[in-house]
Amino acid sequence: MVSVELRGIQKRWEDFALTIERLRARDGELLTLLGPSGCGKTTTLRIIAGLEKPNSGEVLFDGTPVNDLPPYERNIGIVFQDYALFPHMTVFKNVAFGLEMRKLPRMEIERRVKRALELVNLEGLENRYPEQLSGGQQQRIALARALVVEPQVLLLDEPLSNLDAKIRERLRSEIKRIQRELKITTIYVTHDQEEAMALSDRIAVMNFGRIEQVGKPLELYHHPKTEFVARFLGSSNILELKAENGVVRLGSLRFNVGISGRVKMFFRPESVRVKEGNDAHVVDYEILPGRVRFKLKIDGKVITSEGLLSDIPFDIEEPPKRVGVEISTFAIL
Amino acid sequence: MRMRPTKLILIIPVALLVVFFYVPLISILQTGLWDNGPTLKFISSVLVNSYHRRVIEFTVAQALASTVLTLAIGLPGAYIFAKYDFPGKRTIRAVLTVPFVMPSVMVALGFILLFGRGGIITDLIGHDLGILYSWKGILLAHAFYNFPIVVRMVSALWQRINPHYEEAAMTLGARGWRLFWRVTLPMLSPAIFASAMLTFVFCFLSFSIPLIIGGYRYATIEVDIFTSIMTLLDFRTGAALAVIQIVLSMVFMYLYLKSLDAYAKREEQRVMQRPRRMTLSELASLKGSLIITYALFIFIFIVSPLLAVLYDSLHFNGVWSLENYRRIFSAEYDPMFGASTLDAIRNSLTFGFATVFLSLLTALPIAYSMHRWNFRGKRVFDVLATLPLASSAITLGLGYIRVFSGTALYYTPWLLIAAYTIISYPFVLRTVSASLKKIRPNLWEAALSLGAKEWKAFLRVELPLALGGLIVGSIFAFAMSIAELGATYMLAKPEYTTMTLAVYKFLGARQFGSASALAVLLMLISTAGFLLIERTGEEVW
Repeated sequence: MVSVELRGIQKRWEDFALTIERLRARDGELLTLLGPSGCGKTTTLRIIAGLEKPNSGEVLFDGTPVNDLPPYERNIGIVFQDYALFPHMTVFKNVAFGLEMRKLPRMEIERRVKRALELVNLEGLENRYPEQLSGGQQQRIALARALVVEPQVLLLDEPLSNLDAKIRERLRSEIKRIQRELKITTIYVTHDQEEAMALSDRIAVMNFGRIEQVGKPLELYHHPKTEFVARFLGSSNILELKAENGVVRLGSLRFNVGISGRVKMFFRPESVRVKEGNDAHVVDYEILPGRVRFKLKIDGKVITSEGLLSDIPFDIEEPPKRVGVEISTFAIL
Repeated sequence: MRMRPTKLILIIPVALLVVFFYVPLISILQTGLWDNGPTLKFISSVLVNSYHRRVIEFTVAQALASTVLTLAIGLPGAYIFAKYDFPGKRTIRAVLTVPFVMPSVMVALGFILLFGRGGIITDLIGHDLGILYSWKGILLAHAFYNFPIVVRMVSALWQRINPHYEEAAMTLGARGWRLFWRVTLPMLSPAIFASAMLTFVFCFLSFSIPLIIGGYRYATIEVDIFTSIMTLLDFRTGAALAVIQIVLSMVFMYLYLKSLDAYAKREEQRVMQRPRRMTLSELASLKGSLIITYALFIFIFIVSPLLAVLYDSLHFNGVWSLENYRRIFSAEYDPMFGASTLDAIRNSLTFGFATVFLSLLTALPIAYSMHRWNFRGKRVFDVLATLPLASSAITLGLGYIRVFSGTALYYTPWLLIAAYTIISYPFVLRTVSASLKKIRPNLWEAALSLGAKEWKAFLRVELPLALGGLIVGSIFAFAMSIAELGATYMLAKPEYTTMTLAVYKFLGARQFGSASALAVLLMLISTAGFLLIERTGEEVW
């Protein structure tokens, strides 16, 4: 397997520009490009595939530039959002296509197609046509077709977005299993933060044609560097506060931030633990399945807390007017 | 995306177009506009001549009137096909493909047998309706050819109109006529306009029909060019008329292509309304009986000229007989064409297949490059490759006489095949391009990512998916070459007489029985094409 690296990539259109200074997917890693639609993540994937030519910059597989290689010489596998199964070919023919292009002997093709279909748990559908398959089955055939050629890089473009929620979760773990099993370097494009968190070794969050931050899922979740990353990955509390001598005060709470001046402080609702005490005024609360969400006012600022119902130290039907607050993890944006 | 384009594949198409279209075209322009320097004197002498001026006016007028009649017959059909399922709909839908493949000489013959003196309908109602040798016959025959286009294009779009629009309008108080006028019609207009423009262009360039059932008084420009050259040997006048015709038809063709763009954009809408199956009580209502009457009418309209030809071919001196068939296969007519009937059949088939081959050889590389590549001057190239649509067989014939007479090519079948190819390849190009456009681009990308080179991805993935369009285009090219009359008449040596030309010569000699018998054979070939199209399940327009 290989590492994939983008260096100084620029792709310009009339009304949009994609700029990637540097992005590297390590050998055997599943790197997700996460962002809202139109952020340039699919274009990035297509540049890696060679389906799109950047105006400048380099794509390297294992340190070797592949810019001038057409897609068919890059030894990649792609799964498209709508799968792009060839409608005039059976499942077998679809999966065998890449092997036939590589001119493998007949026996070898049959053996490998069989193995690929086993890998995605779809043995016995060889003679069906794509239109006779369910969405989930088509998705897995597309995956088998991409994997059967033993590509050095697997590229997945929103592969689960056309499926309903239940199948999506099942296929998500299946993709993860296969990726771990084959240890194949994988670039995964999605706009779904839950999917990204669940699957990825690392995530690159993109916005407006730029990479905002790259990191492990939890690192991004709790320590975003920008407000965009913070907001895109889930609900957040973002407060504009003043730091003096490296310390931020919020009511009776104090935080060591190490800098002074105006700061933007960020923390997740689940980092806010509610206890008995007198730090904050309870503005409102909502009971959710197994959880509870409070709206609290501290020092004139409204923050949200979310926690397990079982962790609340008082009777939730009659909460006190004032509660104590503890913020475990925070970040400065 | 651009990747190592191998432009070499365009060499054959470009060479064919240059030699067999652009060089002849330039020679016509030169004949019509050049006399020791550029001049408009040939054009103006045509325009001041009252006969030619009347021909030009008549050509435009009859095309307009034919289009109106075509719409009048086709639009109710479009409505019925889009909205209702009724018994026999499949048959009627199939029958609508028939005019697409039937040679116009045969249809003209059918009209003569129906409406002429001693014609079947004339006898039936006891007096001559005056349809033959008048503008009425021309209009009717043009409607015969073109109303299926209107039915298909308009009903296809009608089915795609999102029913929510009409429902929303109804909740806002629009209904009946007002609903149609204010909401439905504006949404249908691209289809109506595109099909009307196509009809207009076909009628404007019509040759065989006005030649045979219009007579001298109702000549179109196309017929006028033909007679100027063939009867009067006046090439200057012929070329001047051709220049006028090309300029006009380019304008009309431009409007057609524009309207087609608008139509194609609307056609992409995914919504599909299934036609409603009519219940028995609905069929018995006034609406139901109107629909059944209309269906019967178009069935009879299309089938009767063909049946008339078949009926006539089986009659000799007023009694049922196979004598006509015996006669055309005996040697007594050979001196008239300089070829036997068997020769004519063989010529038609060989030229037809050669035309299909050359049309594919021309159209496929162009379709591929337009579909796949972005290159400088692509728009110009597109226009240059489509321009033959605005020319006509007679114009080509004139150009070929100017350019090739005296060369080794002259009087060879190759010149005929070249002419057929130039007039029919744009249709192959259009059907193939349309099919290619419908293929999702990521199938091609998937093939590339799996290791297929560009041409392999095209051959293995895109071409098989465009096969329906390719077959329909090929059949159309075949049908056009078989049906071609004018250029064949101008360029064919007697031994290269085709079936269509032979039918025309029988007609000229008032040998209707023999004409019918040969036309029936022609009809059999066309029917084979028709059945093939039915098998592809592809929409024709």
